[in-house]
Amino acid sequence: MNDAAFLGSRVNDTLVSEFRDICGDQAVLNDPVQLLAYECDGLPALRQTPALVVLPGSADEVQRVVRICAREGIPFVARGHGTGLSGGALPVAGGVVISLARMNRVVAIDLPNRQVTVEPGVTNLEITRLVAPHGYYYAPDPSSQQVCSIGGNVAENSGGAHCLKYGFTVHHVLAVDLVLPNGDLVQIGSTAPDAPGPDLLSLIIGSEGTLGIVTKITVRILRKPQTVQTLLAAYDSIREAGAAVSDIISAGIVPAAVEMMDALAIRASEAAVHPNFPPADTILIVELDGPAPEVHELFATVEQICRRAGAATVEIAADADQRLRIWKGRKAAFAAMGRVSPNYYVQDGVVPRTKLPDVLEKIRELSQRCGLPIGNVFHAGDGNLHPLICYDEKIPGQATLAEEVAGEILGYCVEFGGSITGEHGVGADKKQFMAQMFSDDDLDMMQRVRDAFDPQRLCNPGKVLPTPRLCGEVPGPYRQHPVEAAGLADRF
Amino acid sequence: MTTAAAVREPDTPEKLAAALADASRGRRSTIVSGAGTKLDWGRASGHVDCIIKTSRLNRIVAHRHGDLTATIQSGAALTKVNRQLAVRGQWLPIDTAFDAATIGGIVATNDAGPLRHRFGTPRDLLIGVTLALTDGRIIKAGGHVVKNVAGYDLGRLMSGSFGALAAIVDATFKLLPVPAASQTVVAQFADAASLARAVAHLSDTDLEPIAFDVHVIVPRGEYWLLVRFATSPAATHAQVASARALLDPSTRSAGSGQAPPSGVVSDADEDKLWRDHRQDIWKSDAAVVRVSWLPASLAQVLSRLEAIAKDTGASIELAARAGVGAGFVRIDGDDRVQTTAIEQLRARGDIVNHVVVLRAASGVKQQIDPWGRNPQLDPLYRSLKQTFDPEGILNAGRGPI
Repeated sequence: MNDAAFLGSRVNDTLVSEFRDICGDQAVLNDPVQLLAYECDGLPALRQTPALVVLPGSADEVQRVVRICAREGIPFVARGHGTGLSGGALPVAGGVVISLARMNRVVAIDLPNRQVTVEPGVTNLEITRLVAPHGYYYAPDPSSQQVCSIGGNVAENSGGAHCLKYGFTVHHVLAVDLVLPNGDLVQIGSTAPDAPGPDLLSLIIGSEGTLGIVTKITVRILRKPQTVQTLLAAYDSIREAGAAVSDIISAGIVPAAVEMMDALAIRASEAAVHPNFPPADTILIVELDGPAPEVHELFATVEQICRRAGAATVEIAADADQRLRIWKGRKAAFAAMGRVSPNYYVQDGVVPRTKLPDVLEKIRELSQRCGLPIGNVFHAGDGNLHPLICYDEKIPGQATLAEEVAGEILGYCVEFGGSITGEHGVGADKKQFMAQMFSDDDLDMMQRVRDAFDPQRLCNPGKVLPTPRLCGEVPGPYRQHPVEAAGLADRF
Repeated sequence: MTTAAAVREPDTPEKLAAALADASRGRRSTIVSGAGTKLDWGRASGHVDCIIKTSRLNRIVAHRHGDLTATIQSGAALTKVNRQLAVRGQWLPIDTAFDAATIGGIVATNDAGPLRHRFGTPRDLLIGVTLALTDGRIIKAGGHVVKNVAGYDLGRLMSGSFGALAAIVDATFKLLPVPAASQTVVAQFADAASLARAVAHLSDTDLEPIAFDVHVIVPRGEYWLLVRFATSPAATHAQVASARALLDPSTRSAGSGQAPPSGVVSDADEDKLWRDHRQDIWKSDAAVVRVSWLPASLAQVLSRLEAIAKDTGASIELAARAGVGAGFVRIDGDDRVQTTAIEQLRARGDIVNHVVVLRAASGVKQQIDPWGRNPQLDPLYRSLKQTFDPEGILNAGRGPI
């Protein structure tokens, strides 16, 4: 079967006017300058200009747009607010980008049943803003929560710093309306629990926009915890900090969040947002939340454990402002890397929590070996690493080296029994690494499930699953195949 | 009378997969069974040529206690698993009414009890699976780490599939530490309205119980609330005290009915209380249906059940998760009474959103489709069924797909 991406664009003037009839003149973009804004998402290393961008304003319009694409055999890519870090919303050559940005209405707020129903273009934080005055919040909190869309969160099964205790998007979405790749609209899941049948909702969440386009989402909201306490412990070594985390877990405590940052990440964050972090090799942030008596009792144990593990200092946030300052420092760490390095590459991998010190040691060795500084910011409670590989694109070869280093780190994650992505998704960026984690049979079954939804292979093609390997290619970090180098084949 | 089904008990994943492939090649109708505690759920089984039992695939493959995860073969009984995990002070916080229930069956049916209030259903704790496919291949999805978004979540897709897509070889779960202390507040109410008000009242507080259930026996006029707190000792006691204060008759709003004060149950009595609460529903041959609703509709659900009992003469018992809006209803009465009662429950889809008939006499199941699922999804389910089980050998027509 031809990969849809290989086809030349079928988007002609007649189709453009058909799309305009559906969505309105302003909501169909084909001016090359306007299209530039859509050529990449939060992963600017991968770029592709689409043939057309349409911005439907309703589920009905999404259906009609998708039906045309299905009829004409045109690949289409759904896009939320374009903050994804794996190229999940990377356009397909000759294809249509369906932006859900205009679909940003709040459909219903049902406080008695603790549910909010929104369109996909609503931002993650907007839900919390809406319900906060009533004492509720939406739990998944990716670092980009101020700008990322709920539709994108559903596509990526987004997590965040607090997913150790509260889980991911899949634990908080009750129902979605989904436009299938043939244009049919179905409701999956239900606002009441226990809809009968195999759990399609879990399949859709995290499918990275490859099984359809979500046009309405009902999420569960939680009561704000009665009490939150946060501490910041500074250590001379990652091993000590790691031991503290192990001891907390062994003590039967599940914190709301456990985060770690290393010296480089601390330095970057200090330069950018001045959170007043201590100058340490590693800092550990532990947050407990829940009913006051529980938090107070367990927090004393956590503090003791942190000190016993060898903390040079332990700072306890005295109030909400201090807590916010700590979190600001943590959440700003990615962007702050720009203060200490001209360019950086964010990796996302997972290892079993107990393997963190081993893997971080290997990353430090790798950093020394390759000569590129690597900062580490990670969710230590669940083993989700975010190495930030610093490089300077002006120095020939460094960008490629950074990419190779990032790939090597994923190899460590798989070797230690983890995953190539904890929250950023596979997208276009990591599909070639899927074969390190899954067998050909595993991937074949995933492809067949995808085909059950999208037999024409038009819905976000070229994402998640690796294209069949080129003859002579070995699994491993991406390296250009000679056939690619000769311009005879391409990867999508 | 048809011939007895051949029974196979593979002791390796490879033999399980081979047995499936063999059945598929021969187009033999096959049921994959754990302990068989839920084989009568859903539609009456059609002809069965082969039963593949997972009883010899019953090991804990790995308990990574430092990482709070475990990989468990499908034929292992949950109760035994939890006894082993407890050695390290951990548990898989799932409860079921069936002591023999296996991991595979629990995942395939997403069978959950009172603990779902805090910990969710089995699908919420599942982080990876190994599956045997009808073409004889063994595949995996997900992994061993709690945070992982690589590839499609084929594990959770098995949740609610009732063995219609593939056989589960093993499942990997996120575990939790066993709470250091546990106590349950029990309160009885004079009528449905008072019970529903108490539920609404407690829901609107900062208390964080791990189970929050109601048990109602309609003709006997019994209205119980069971609230379990389990965390550190001091915090458990503090929350129990808060809950009791909130439930104290003297502090309840006027018109809440005459009710005795609440009690507190702990240790072995607490275990027995919850066990009886889960199992009583299943103790007679009556029909049992799984029901769910929007949690704020509890009062309407209770009055609906009372109206149905009155109208049909059925004896009705409800054991349900008040905070979630889900539970089981037992309907005692002859076939006609059961059928009418179930139809009446379904007639008000605006109150009781889903009604799935789990166990009922064959006469009842002939009258009504046990599943009552969303027909919009039929094409997708057909397509997935074709993908996983092209010869249609699995599940013997019991459904849901």
